[in-house]
Amino acid sequence: MRTILCYGDSNTHGQIPGATPLDRYTLLQRWPGVLARELGTGWHIIEEGLSGRTTVHDDPIEGALKNGRTYLRPCLMSHAPLDLVIIMLGTNDLKARFGQPASEVAMGIGCLIHDIKELSPGPGGTVPEIMVVSPPPMLDDIKEWENIFKAAQQKSHELALQFEIMSDSLEVHFFDAGSVSTCDPLDGFHINAQAHESLGVALAREVEAIGWK
Amino acid sequence: MPDMRFAPPNPLRIADCASGLNAVSVRSYNERLVLSLLLQHSSTTRLEIGEQTGLSAQTVSVLVRSLEQEGLVAKGEAQKGRVGPPTVPLTLNPEGAYSIGISVGNRHTDIVLIDFVGKIRFHKTLPNPQLAQGSNHSEFLETIASAVKLLPDAERERLAGVGLALPRRLSGGMDEEAYFKALQAEIEEQLGIAVFVQNDITAAASGESMFGAAKTLSDYMFFYLGADLHGRLVLNHQIYNGNSEVSFDVGIAALERDLSAQDKEVDPLWDRSGSWPDYGALVTDWEERLISQMRASLHGVGQFVEIETVILSSYAPESICQDICRKLEAAAPDIKAIAGNIVPAPKAIGAASLPFSSRFMVS
Repeated sequence: MRTILCYGDSNTHGQIPGATPLDRYTLLQRWPGVLARELGTGWHIIEEGLSGRTTVHDDPIEGALKNGRTYLRPCLMSHAPLDLVIIMLGTNDLKARFGQPASEVAMGIGCLIHDIKELSPGPGGTVPEIMVVSPPPMLDDIKEWENIFKAAQQKSHELALQFEIMSDSLEVHFFDAGSVSTCDPLDGFHINAQAHESLGVALAREVEAIGWK
Repeated sequence: MPDMRFAPPNPLRIADCASGLNAVSVRSYNERLVLSLLLQHSSTTRLEIGEQTGLSAQTVSVLVRSLEQEGLVAKGEAQKGRVGPPTVPLTLNPEGAYSIGISVGNRHTDIVLIDFVGKIRFHKTLPNPQLAQGSNHSEFLETIASAVKLLPDAERERLAGVGLALPRRLSGGMDEEAYFKALQAEIEEQLGIAVFVQNDITAAASGESMFGAAKTLSDYMFFYLGADLHGRLVLNHQIYNGNSEVSFDVGIAALERDLSAQDKEVDPLWDRSGSWPDYGALVTDWEERLISQMRASLHGVGQFVEIETVILSSYAPESICQDICRKLEAAAPDIKAIAGNIVPAPKAIGAASLPFSSRFMVS
């Protein structure tokens, strides 16, 4: 049995576009569920998505609990040994309160990669496979979220390249979710059921392509 | 002391440089390792690359992604295995790179344009240039230029270079090496294409090794049947020339003499039509002498290395080469003889493999 941890934000949580964190797509509709279905038996998929999760920041408004870095280590230890950790974060770092350019968000992703390598929660204390997934770019119209995400739309288009540069540098797997999915017009930054489906299928192919003995 | 883990990222390859081929200097050793495996095997997987190079799955992932972006490598459809997870094959993208090969033979010069998997996109046979008339290489330049023009504009930058396969002989007081050097300089200067030079027999062996009958072989005796018979020993994919360049006068020139003595038509021997008239016993007699020389060479090499396989490469018709192989196997039952299959211009295709090996493979 191989174990995959899917570490993300509301778009891993399966939050329905234009709704609240309590309105979720079903387990089988969410991309980690689609990934599990596609990979079939022999794989255990752990879904770990929190609405509002950042890469490395305590959120001054929503609270320190949204910090993806502090929660990652206990999470890895709870679920070790892990064969693969998929990280899909970055959108919440673009909130105006953090004032980060895309390259700094990528630095946050790099920080998480270093933490995973340091902890080595892979089989036998090895470094697991790590896959960075850049979120699909936000739409221009993000409805009532415009002020919270002031000027984030443009930066969200730069995440894929910045994440790929970071992934290349630290030698980890990379996938651009924007190549197979888009955000839903209902709120402009959440992905709908169809996008979850295409992302889950595409990630399954990426996971297979890693090559497993 | 800053924590260097958080220094600015320094990608193995800059992720967005997706246009055209990268300069020679930036192609890393590891990328060359991956491309070497792909050029040697028609298909591989990331898992196999990892196993054969010792690189981690994550490093292979970065390298392959970068080669995919550059258009050199294509990902295949996942293959479901009977056990275990499906495998995803990787292959070279045929349109990922092109190369031009030129070989100067006894009488003719062959020019080919091949794609990244060795498929011939263009082939032209010209009479050899008249060396005595000085250094006018315009025929070459025009033919190369016309071969380049076959590529759509967008793909011209995917031309890896021009390979020149040159015979060792110097004849009639004319310094061919000087001529070839001038030709190389002229192509580089006038067409702005990198030129790589190699001995023509070694080039033919490289061609069979990269694209032909020897693709899956690592150790064998290579014979080239041209005007003369030439041999090369290949061990662990390395092609060895002896220090003394030996060629044997039992090749097509010897057959030509026999045929001329009997007033037979000899022109078909030198063209590239792929068939000879039925010369009957004259060919049989010549084949016997040829095979006896091949066996003598094999015997000499056999004192040091055990040879199990022979590759016979030639522009002569495939049926003739296969016939020679069958007869060699009959005479030497321990040997498996295989006719080369990069027809009709093995030396030119071998020449064209040279820019690929120089630019994409580990030496």
